[in-house]
Amino acid sequence: MVRNKTVLLVFRALLGGLFVYAGIVKVLEPLDFAQNIRNYDLVGQSLSFIAAIVLPWIEILAGAFLIAGIWKRGAALVITGLLVFFIVLTLVTIARGLDIDCGCFGAIDRKAGLSVILEDLAMLYLGLCVLSAPKEYIRQKEGSPRKG
Amino acid sequence: MSEAGRILRQAMAIGALGLLIAAAVHFPLFKRFARGEFRESFFQASDFPGVRLITLEEGEELWRTAQASLVDARRPGLYGEGHVPGARSVPAPEAEKALSVDLLNLPREGTLVVYCEGGDCQSSFLLAKRLHDEGFKDIRVMTGGWKAWQAAGLPEERGNGQK
Repeated sequence: MVRNKTVLLVFRALLGGLFVYAGIVKVLEPLDFAQNIRNYDLVGQSLSFIAAIVLPWIEILAGAFLIAGIWKRGAALVITGLLVFFIVLTLVTIARGLDIDCGCFGAIDRKAGLSVILEDLAMLYLGLCVLSAPKEYIRQKEGSPRKG
Repeated sequence: MSEAGRILRQAMAIGALGLLIAAAVHFPLFKRFARGEFRESFFQASDFPGVRLITLEEGEELWRTAQASLVDARRPGLYGEGHVPGARSVPAPEAEKALSVDLLNLPREGTLVVYCEGGDCQSSFLLAKRLHDEGFKDIRVMTGGWKAWQAAGLPEERGNGQK
């Protein structure tokens, strides 16, 4: 895992930015996202609706907090949790042979397939780096971490 | 408080905050959902003018009087096991690729009746949206689907031969 403070800052900006973006595009088209969730054929209409309304805001908040440095590790935990869930969901979808859009970034057409899993794994790595970094490495106010 | 506990509480607070903001921002949408909108599909009627939901009886009437072309949105295997006589097979996932020339040659003003398996199947809605985007003006989704058709003891046709 990366322990360089600058690199961790870049990771936070990158991962947070992606989540804020993914959340915003879904907030703009909540019904399209609800249909995306429904197409996975795992939950019914009501749960699809509620998830489509709430999930994007959690993505936006977690992403924004990660970038801004508020509750960084809590935000990283939310993001890694979501990513693990997305990876399992995509694996299950592939195993069931469903040919559906992943709904990852709103209206951008992407099939729920291997490339989505690889992308999520890459993001998961960034999230785990932030989550597992010792406190002083991601705490900006306290200056540089001590060496050794 | 332990570090792990602190992180967990932060994460839960983010979740709760997300829930609150979502409820506030999308309150009008929640109200529409509570009124019964979006119970069968998430499409907004205003975005898809010409797409309507119909009952089995209405679908049967359109089929009997040959006023509409029927379109089966299910997988080819299910279509082969039994479908509405004369219905074309256009599996919904394939509708995202190219629609058959046969279907595209139909007059855009004509009536199409789309159905899928039944229950809360989604493929007829997906296909209806696609057909709307192709310019079809009158698309009716038979929400009871194939199950309701079968349960009513209406005529069936088997095989994958396209009509």
